[in-house]
Parts: sequence; C-alpha cells; structure tokens
Amino acid sequence: MRETKSNVFSEKIKISTSKKIALNKARLNKKKTLKKNIKEISIRSGLDATFCMLTLILLVVGLIMLFSASFFNAYYYQNGDSYFFIRNQLIWAILGVVVLFLVSFFDYNKLKKLATPILCLSFILLISVLFMPVKNEVHRWITLGPVSFQASEITKFAIVLSFSHTISKNFKKMGTFRYGVLPYALILSTTAFLLYLEPHISCLIIIILLCGGMLYIGGIKLRWFGLVFAAALAGVAFLVLSNKLSYANERVVGWLDPFNSTTDTWQTRQGLYAIGSGGLWGLGLGKSRQKYLFIPEPQNDFIFSVVCEELGFIGALIILILFAMLIWRGIIISMRAKNKFGALLGIGLTAQVGLQVILNIFVVTNTIPNTGISLPFFSYGGTALVMLMAQMGIILSISRSSKLEK
Amino acid sequence: MAKGTTIRMWRRSILVLTALIVFGFGTIVFRLMQLQIIQGKNLQQMAIDQQLKDTLISAKRGTIYDRNMKPLVQSATVWKVVLEPAYIKTDEKKEIISSGLSEILGIPKEEIYEKANKKSYYSILEKKVESEIKDKIVEFQSKNKIRNGIRIIEDYKRYYTFKTFASNVLGFTGSDNQGLSGIENYYDKELNGESGRLITARNAVGTNMPFEYEQRIEPKNGNSLVLTIDESIQRSIEKHLEEGRINNKAVNGATSIMMDVNNGEILGMAVKKDFNPNSPFEIEDEEVRKKIEELPADQRSKEKGKALEKQWRNKAISDAYMPGSTFKILTSSMALEENLVNDETRFNCNGSIVPYNKARSINCHKHSGHGVQNFQQIICNSCNPAFVSLGQMLGPEIFFKYYKNFGLTQKTGIDLPGEANGIFFNKDGSMAPMDLAVASFGQNFTITPIQMLSAVASIVNGGKWIQPHVTKQIIDEKGNIIKKARENMRRRVISEATSKKICKLLQVNVDTGSGKNGGVPGYDLGGKTGTSEKIGDSEEGKKDYIGSYCCFGPTESPKFVLIVIYDTPRGNSYYGGIVAAPVGAKIVNDTFPILGVNKNYKGEELEKLDTTTPFLVGSSLENAKSVLLQNELKPIIKGDGTAVVSQIPSIGAKIPKGGTVVLYTDNQSAQRKIKVPDFLGLSIASANRLAVSSELNMSIFGTAQSREEIVASKQSIPKGELVDPGTVVTVEFVQKDTIN
Repeated sequence: MRETKSNVFSEKIKISTSKKIALNKARLNKKKTLKKNIKEISIRSGLDATFCMLTLILLVVGLIMLFSASFFNAYYYQNGDSYFFIRNQLIWAILGVVVLFLVSFFDYNKLKKLATPILCLSFILLISVLFMPVKNEVHRWITLGPVSFQASEITKFAIVLSFSHTISKNFKKMGTFRYGVLPYALILSTTAFLLYLEPHISCLIIIILLCGGMLYIGGIKLRWFGLVFAAALAGVAFLVLSNKLSYANERVVGWLDPFNSTTDTWQTRQGLYAIGSGGLWGLGLGKSRQKYLFIPEPQNDFIFSVVCEELGFIGALIILILFAMLIWRGIIISMRAKNKFGALLGIGLTAQVGLQVILNIFVVTNTIPNTGISLPFFSYGGTALVMLMAQMGIILSISRSSKLEK
Repeated sequence: MAKGTTIRMWRRSILVLTALIVFGFGTIVFRLMQLQIIQGKNLQQMAIDQQLKDTLISAKRGTIYDRNMKPLVQSATVWKVVLEPAYIKTDEKKEIISSGLSEILGIPKEEIYEKANKKSYYSILEKKVESEIKDKIVEFQSKNKIRNGIRIIEDYKRYYTFKTFASNVLGFTGSDNQGLSGIENYYDKELNGESGRLITARNAVGTNMPFEYEQRIEPKNGNSLVLTIDESIQRSIEKHLEEGRINNKAVNGATSIMMDVNNGEILGMAVKKDFNPNSPFEIEDEEVRKKIEELPADQRSKEKGKALEKQWRNKAISDAYMPGSTFKILTSSMALEENLVNDETRFNCNGSIVPYNKARSINCHKHSGHGVQNFQQIICNSCNPAFVSLGQMLGPEIFFKYYKNFGLTQKTGIDLPGEANGIFFNKDGSMAPMDLAVASFGQNFTITPIQMLSAVASIVNGGKWIQPHVTKQIIDEKGNIIKKARENMRRRVISEATSKKICKLLQVNVDTGSGKNGGVPGYDLGGKTGTSEKIGDSEEGKKDYIGSYCCFGPTESPKFVLIVIYDTPRGNSYYGGIVAAPVGAKIVNDTFPILGVNKNYKGEELEKLDTTTPFLVGSSLENAKSVLLQNELKPIIKGDGTAVVSQIPSIGAKIPKGGTVVLYTDNQSAQRKIKVPDFLGLSIASANRLAVSSELNMSIFGTAQSREEIVASKQSIPKGELVDPGTVVTVEFVQKDTIN
C-alpha cells in the first residue's frame, strides 16, 4: 500500500524531473552554444570554466531539491499549486544565469567607483527597513512592487565591496590606525548597530566573520584585528547575556536540548528527524516524509535537512564537496587576480558563500542555535539567487581579467 | 606582483581557506555522520512515530451465555468522543463547539475550550457515551455545519443483563473492557479478541496525506463463552441462599455450588453478598458504604479497597473452611473402601472418647452417648466418638492417601481465577494422633467449598474424581465451536461398589437421620450436614461456626451434588442442619424439575401430596361435592344456594390431599374472612388439626415425617392476617434440634 502510494508520488517527481531534464536539455543546448561562445571568449578572455560549471551544477541541483522540498508545502499553502515555489525560483534562476554571464563580461574594476554609493545605499536600506512592516517579529524585508528582498543581502555585498576597495587603496597604510582600522571600524559598527535594530544577528555574524577575514588577508596589524574582533564579540556576548536579545537567548536554550526543551524547537527537531531518517543512502529523491508540513517552510533555511533525508549522508557529502570545490576555485581565482581589489573582492565574495553554507548547515544540524541563514543555490528566494549569481559573475569577471593579463 | 597579490595575502588566504574547509566542512561532516549514521535509527523511529497516525479500533468483547444460550453478559456499542483541535482553527468555531458539546456531554465548557486550544489532533473528551448522546452530537454537527474537529469512535460497553446475578462468578471488566475478575478475567484473552488498528500516514497538522498511506487491520471480535451454569438454577440458588443468609444472620456471607457429578459441570455457583458488575466499584452494602464515607479521607480509599476486595471475592473457591461433619462422608467412604467396616461392625459411644492415653477427651454432641451403634447409625447420629475410632482404624497414612486422592491437597483447577488451597496439618501429610482424631470428623484442617464438592461428587458418581469447570464451550461470533470444555482430569478414588453403599447410607441419613431437614418429599436424596467451629477468626470469648449441608440425588444413580455453606450464622441457630439443610432442600425442590428429575413419592409422602383444586364454580352443589370426593378433598358449604358461585382455593391452586375446599353458594358468605393462626412450633399433626379447624388448607414443605421433633418453622402467611376461608398456607417443617 505504502509502496504504491509513494510510487504515485515518485511518479510525480519523475514527471517533474523529466520536465526538468527537458528543461536542462534545453539549457544544455543553450549551454553548448554558449560553450562555443565561452570557448571563443575564453580564448580571448579566459573565463574560468571550472568555477562556471560548479556554479551551474549547484544551481541545477539546488532547483531540483527546491522543487522536491517545496511542492507539498506549496500544494497545502498555495491553494493546491504545487509548482508555486519552483516556478518563481526557475524564472529567477534563468534571470540569474543571464546575469551571471553579463556580469562576467563587466569589468569589475568599475565597481570601485560604485563602492561608496552602494555602501550608502546599504545604509539607507538598513534604515528604511526599520519602517517596513514586521514579519516574524523582525523587520528584514523590503518590498518594491512584486519584488521583495532582504536589505541585508545588499549590505553583505556593500561591505565586501567597500572593504575591498578601501583596503586595496590604502594597502600600504594598513599598519596605521587611521587607514588600517578606523574606516572599517566605523562602517562595521554602523552596520552592526543597524542590523541589531532589525534584529538580524545571523547576518551580523556573517558580516563580522567576513570583515575579519578580509582585514586579515588585507594585512591588518593583528593587534588591531584582535582588538576589534574581541570588542565585537564582547558586544554580542553582552547583548546575549543581558537578555536584550530575548528571542536569541530562547534559541540557545532550545539548542542545548531540542527534544525536551519547553521553548519552541519544532523546526530544529523536525530538521533533525529528517536528517536522521536519511541514514547513509537516503530515502530516495522526492521521498522525504518530513517535508509534509513537519518541517515548516522546507523550501527555506531548512532545505538541507530534506536534502539529507532524500539523498542520505552520501548525497549530502557530494553536495558539500561541490561547495568546497567552489570555494577552492573562488580563492584560486582571487589569488590570480591582477590587482589587490580583485583579489580581495573575489575572496570576500567566495568567503561569503562559504560562510553562509557552513552556518546554514550548522543551524540545520543544530551545531549552533537556530538563526535565519539561507543556503546559497538551494533556499527559495529569487532576489537573493540573482544577487548570488551576480556575485558569481563578478568572480568570473575576475578570472577573465586575470587570464587576460597572462 | 606589485599590483596583484602579495605573498602574505597568499599565505593568509590559504589559512582562511583551510580554516573554512577544515573547521567548517569538517564539523559538518562530523555532525552529519553523528546524526545520520550513529543516531539515524533513533531519529528515524521518532520521525515515523509522528508520521504515522495509529488509531485503535476496538474489538467487540464476546458474550457470556448460560448453558441454554441465554445471554448473561453482553457488549453493546457505545461511543468515544474525541476532539481534534488541529481542525478547529477559528475562535468562533472553538466557541461553538465547546459550548455545544458542554451542553450535550455535561462537561464544563472551559475544559473543552482549553482542549480545543491545544496543539494536538487527538484529545479524548468522553468515553462510553450512549448512542442517544452520540446522535445528539451528530445532530449538533450537522446543524452547525461542523465537518471536522469532532470525531466519534465506536467503542463497546459491558452489560450484565441480570445485574447482581452470579456476579462473583462472572466478574467484571475495567474501563478498557479488560476482564478484572471472575470468568471475565480467566477467559479475558478469548473474550477480548484483538483490537484492530488504522494506520495512516499523516502530516504535521494531523490530517491525512494527499496520497494516503493507509493500512487497516480489522479488529477480531472476541469469542463467546457458553457456561455450564443454568440461569434458572443459578437464580433459584441465589434466591434461597440470600433468604437463608438474612434469616440466619450469616455475618460472613454464604455460598452454594451445584455440580453435575458425572462431568464436573458447575450448574450454579452463588456467593452472597455480591455486587453489581455494571458498577463494580460501588460498595453494594449500604452500611459499609456509610461507614467508609464517615472515615477520614486518608483512610477512606484503603478501607474502600478492602471492602471492594471483599465484595468481589468468590467465596466458593477462594475461602477455605473446616468442613466439619460433612467430611464424615469422606471418612466413611475410606473405611468402606478399605473394608474396615461391615454390617456387623459395632461402635460404642458413651458420650465422649479419649483417643489415646492421657489425651484430651472428645465429647459427643449427645452427652449421654449413643450407646452401641452400627455403621449406618453412626452416620445418622453423626457420632463423633465413633468417627474418632473409625479414623484410628484407618491410620494416618491411609487417611492421607485418600485425602490426597480426593483432591484436597491441591487446587481443583476450576476455570476461575483466585482459587485457594486448603491447609492440612503438615505439608508432608503426617498427622499427630490428635490430628487424626479430629480430622475424622472434619475439624482442624481447611479445604475450599469447591474441593469439598468435587470430593463428594467423586464418591457418589461411582468413584471417579472429575475436575469441575464452569465453561462448556467457546464459540466464535457465528456460533462455530472453537473449543470444547477441556478434557477433564479424571481419576478413580473409590470403587463403584463403595460408592453405591455410601449413597444408600446417606439417603437413610436424609430420610431418617441427622439430614432430615434437607429432605424433599418425592426425591431420593442423600446428604450430610455439618457444623464446624471456626478457629482463630472469632472474637475473644466467642465461638463462631460454619453451618453447611452437602447433598446429592437421585441416590439410585446420582446426577447432582449440592453444597450450601453459611459462614458465622448469628441467628437462632448455627447448626448446619438448621441453617443450611432447609435451604438445600428448597434449592433441590426448585432445581430438580429443571434438571428433569421426576418426583417419586412413597409411603407417608403420598398421603401428604398436594393436588390441584378442580374447577367447581357454576356446577351444582351435588356435582361439586362428588368431584371433590373423587379428588380426596373435603367440601365445606357456605350459604343456602344450590349452585357454587365461588370457591376457595380457586381453580388450579395447590392443596394438600384431604384438604378442604370451601364452596360458596351466595355472595354474602364470600365476605367472611379468617384470621390465620400461628403454626410455628407445632408438629405436622397438630398443625394439620389447627388448619382444618380454622377452615384453612395447609401445604407442607420440608421433611414429611410425622414425628414429634419435627416442628413448623415458617408459614407463608403471617399469623393474624385476614384471608378467605380455604386459603392455602404453606408451612415449612424442620427438625427441632438438628444434630450433625
């Protein structure tokens, strides 16, 4: 009985996958033509094929998994429209691929001029988001017509960009307080304060780690680096301990014992059930049981638990390897950049993806307390996906220019 | 390189990369291994537990029938009302449902509202709801268009058709229909069946998945039992036993068992006081209940527990007692089987016996002594010193050999829970000389009533011990026989010849000896009464007794054996012959016709036989007179008419042979009433004379012999009451000073 039922279901998946295969074929054809172009281009401009392929593979895998994870949730909450999430995401993904290649032709050095305006935009957005309606007890989203996005997406990029620009500009003076510490401390503290007001602690953590890494690579004197880092940590610790972040504190309690806690640990618990159910080989693609409303919004932050349930430990490992390769490749590209701005920008953007992957999976596996971090390429969210693809485009642009130099 | 990356940047980048990969991804892989491979099974189980909804489907518990397929215990459909808060989303709906159900079920509204607010999908509101209330809920649902949120699940409830009837044997069930005592408990597995399950895959809100995974395991309804108990026999036993318990003030209750001697089928088993299995947790005895209610709260539950324990107890199998003189049936059989006695054997009784040198002397109830007696006489006189001698003739080894063979050292293994075992002097069967002396007349060791009954059955049925049982067969829903009564354990204890002899001896005892009060005119009964002293449980300085009577019939080829026991009678008498034997006689009188045993009158009995009054109204006086004479009845004519306008007793009424029928020839005379005289204490002859002179008819119940020591003990219409002339007054006669 159960077999046949789930067969019906896997049938559905099969249909959808076959649809997707058709789509992929179409895209592959597209790619083939593109490949020709790429070859032509790459001879001329040296686009990094490995990084490009890794990006596209992760995008496709991410889309498949998104469909699998979201279709029942969509069916239940979107008036029986099982394709609600995948349809939206697919449109954005196609847009994302276009953006990816467009951006890769764009000379990233022109971004230098945009660094300050984008930073300003980021501040404006972070301030204006505070006046946006509250969603899930926090204000994070900005809605512009049909499009809504998280202000912090822009912030992350703005910070990486402005840091790369400032560091590369003042590279030789990085040892001094005035040029090596002050500007970064000002930007970071302002951003941190605004994020705290949202509140959006998970983004704050990513930004702090990101800035720390960039400043470290940029050559900051370690004592400053250590001091700022310590001060930031102390600030967070103070906020947590003084109970000012009561919502975060509650999450810590739930984190320590998700199965018996009196606090609401439903999401964490359901994620762990899903991961555990996967075992070594997984239940099979499309056969997750936990996505049937047990995991709230399985298409969002907790999508990796459905991946683990369906594809098992082996599947999760393969996806992790893909991400690791992407990071590896990103850093190689950055190191080969023809200037320090490119190198720092590339490392910053790569590290941002890497950190987000790691922190997301940390949350899903209950390694750290639950906080909202989405999984790049997988989690539902059109603007974030396009943003991500644009950032990948920038890295490709860096790879292109570095090869041109050679 | 000047424009590009520096060495330090390279180094630091590699460090960041390594940190990311090793720390970040390493931790992830470690965590995934922990969760998926090490804890995987546990987490998966927890996941499955929440993914599958398992709803129990109750099985219908089997019916318990009497031997004639009259249902004694039945399961009827009731309903379980369950709230499914997951479906009740709006506050408005919660409000409607909680106030509506509160009204129907009588549960406080707040309680329901609170349940509706909880994040669950299954919350029991009320169990065992009758169908009428269920119908009201259904109506409420359709009226308010509530399609989900309330679920009504079929369940069953036990109904004991005749309330207290055979309650200590049938037992009762708990709230989940599990058998807690009696037959319900012993055959719980058979009766219960197997509950079915409905396993459905469900999502987090408790509704079923769109592609349903559903597995239904049908419940297997329980099997039914056909008991060996006969409803009408049981009813008669209970009626007379209870009447006797009240008259004799038996403070520790009473029990009676009737068994088919040839196959071990229990036809009736009654315990008084009893309880109502429809509400087993209520204390039936009002006095006890009041006493407990007055107790301080901390003692109340403990005392209540004790009282409940007591009212549920099946005295017939759980309470061991000293059999007293009824045990002389066994001692006599041993002696006969061992050929230690014959018609020539003589026993001398001078009022007491010293069983051995320097021993305490044992008195006979007849202090002057019975003198020289033969074997038949010692039974009829129930002479203790003679039985002490008989015991000594047997010796302890032979005595114990038979004791064991009669099944008194172990439980009978009847199919009822809670059977006790008696206590013999020493576990290895050895007996001190004084032990043997008193054991020969049934004192100082204990056995259960069912052990005693089975032992007597084995003596009168030709010598085979047969295991008693209460269940005839187990049948399924459609009536197919699943299992017959188990093959009874049988073993030979005494020879058929001995059995025949003892039956005759005991018949004489009922006809003319100490068992006279147990006799029923027209039936050949054998029996023995017994009165034993209770040791240990009576109050200081007070002696308590158990009066019992054990009989069987017909003596020619015995079919049935009956035991009646009164524990601690504190009425006018405590002798078995007075408290138990008349009850035994009444039971036999009621039940033998049911069992198809015909009356066979002889000698004196024939004269006192009742006849039915013929129909005389309307016939001429002359005619009526001659009809009455033909029927051996005497006419008394009142009035001056020539035809009979009314008669007393009326048509079909039982009237003793030679009784008077009053014929009225006018209506005025019919107004005359007669005061019923006091018959109590009179002999049959004088009672008869009194009846005739009072223009009443007397019907005799009890022993039919006209002897001085037999006196009226009860009359059906109390003295002083005004009745029509010719009314039949049933008078019960018992032996005045019954001895054992």
